[in-house]
Amino acid sequence: MRDFLKSTKFKVLLFFVAFLIGIMVYSVTRGGYSLRGVSFFNTITKPFRSASNGISRGVEDTLDKYTHASEYYEENQQLKEEIGRLNRELTEYEALKAEVEELRELVSIKQEHEDFEYTEACDVIGYITNDPFMSFTIAKGKAEGITPNCPVVTAEGLVGITVDVSEHTSTVRTILSPDLSVAAVNSKSNKDMGIIEGDILSAESGNTRLIHINKGNTLKKGDLIITSGTSGLFPKDYSIGKIKSISPDSNGISDCAVIEPCCDVTRLSSVYVITNFTGKREDLNENKDTP
Amino acid sequence: MRIRTPREQRILYFKTILRWTLYYLVIFLCFLIMTSGTWTKPILLVPCAVAIAVGNGQYSSAVSGAFCGFLIDIACGKLVGYNAALLAVFCIIISLLYELYLRNKFVNYIVITAVLAYIQCWLDYKFYYEMWEYDNVERIFSQLSMKVWALTIISACLIYIIIEFINKKLMPKNHVTIEEAINTAIRSEK
Repeated sequence: MRDFLKSTKFKVLLFFVAFLIGIMVYSVTRGGYSLRGVSFFNTITKPFRSASNGISRGVEDTLDKYTHASEYYEENQQLKEEIGRLNRELTEYEALKAEVEELRELVSIKQEHEDFEYTEACDVIGYITNDPFMSFTIAKGKAEGITPNCPVVTAEGLVGITVDVSEHTSTVRTILSPDLSVAAVNSKSNKDMGIIEGDILSAESGNTRLIHINKGNTLKKGDLIITSGTSGLFPKDYSIGKIKSISPDSNGISDCAVIEPCCDVTRLSSVYVITNFTGKREDLNENKDTP
Repeated sequence: MRIRTPREQRILYFKTILRWTLYYLVIFLCFLIMTSGTWTKPILLVPCAVAIAVGNGQYSSAVSGAFCGFLIDIACGKLVGYNAALLAVFCIIISLLYELYLRNKFVNYIVITAVLAYIQCWLDYKFYYEMWEYDNVERIFSQLSMKVWALTIISACLIYIIIEFINKKLMPKNHVTIEEAINTAIRSEK
């Protein structure tokens, strides 16, 4: 060791270390700028470092999956539980939302027809199988105050009438059916009256008909047809549908109009049943309503 | 010392160049690994510099140590020249120790690497954290510096294997004549 300390090699190495320290001191004086050599080296190694970093990130991500698998599993389980909880809340929210919308509809209807007594919103359980007139069953019945021949409506307009009422379900005959006749009138003119009565052809396209219209009527396409309420079966002034077309009836003594219902009776999810209204006939067992 | 033939001389040059090329390739790979990703990583260049210094002379050890130090400075964002000077000095000392006192054994290597890595981490902590009196600065040492130190020691095993493999295949062997061997044996007996 003593020989080494006396040797030229030691002096050279000492000078080398001093040189390195000099570089260090010089780099301090650069005031935040890299040394030229360092900048050059960084420039050269940049693509390699980028590539290496990309590989490393990939490796880290892969290894991370394995090293933290248990944590991820637990997190996954927690998230699943949370998703389940949120889904339940979402379901409740959707139900509440639907209820709110239904109530809004109900409120709007009630505001328009203060004398009407409604049931709560009745969910449509399902349509009668293979019925061309789209009769359906609702989830409310006698227990909710529904009786046969109660008008069934939505906020948009008249749907039909209850025909088969059980304790908790009811069957609704729609205005597409030829078995249901509703006295109707033009909303603009009480002179243009007729009878809403469906037929097979109109029902295929989701429409109904206004028949027995006097010749010389002033009805035109787009006019709104409403209930006249003369029979006591349906409340007065309730929207039914708009005129799509008018043509002479097959009997030659009156006109006939195709009516597009205000509500699409083929795609209902819930309806309201009017259990009572001003002018209702209490003794009515028939579902025929003549003007 | 036996006189080498021109062919042997050429092979020696070739092997030496190839050996140092591989050394610096390993250094460069260590640098790339150190600068990649986001995890806490070992200071791979410390065991690398030590492993190179073990089987080589003081000059080459100093240069390779300085180079590794520069790369550490760049990779770790330290003052350029700080680790270079540190590693250059330590590599010279290590080279001398191996030349004069120590045998080329794994235990010696790992102990020296552990000591040097600890010194490097400790100085780093002292100069870059504790000196500036950050709040809860001791957590840096316990949570970061010690982790880096432990990782460096673990990774040193792999570095040692690689460098030793290169040395085994490419390091020139000292050929001695029978007379030189006898004289060496006589001197050792005296």
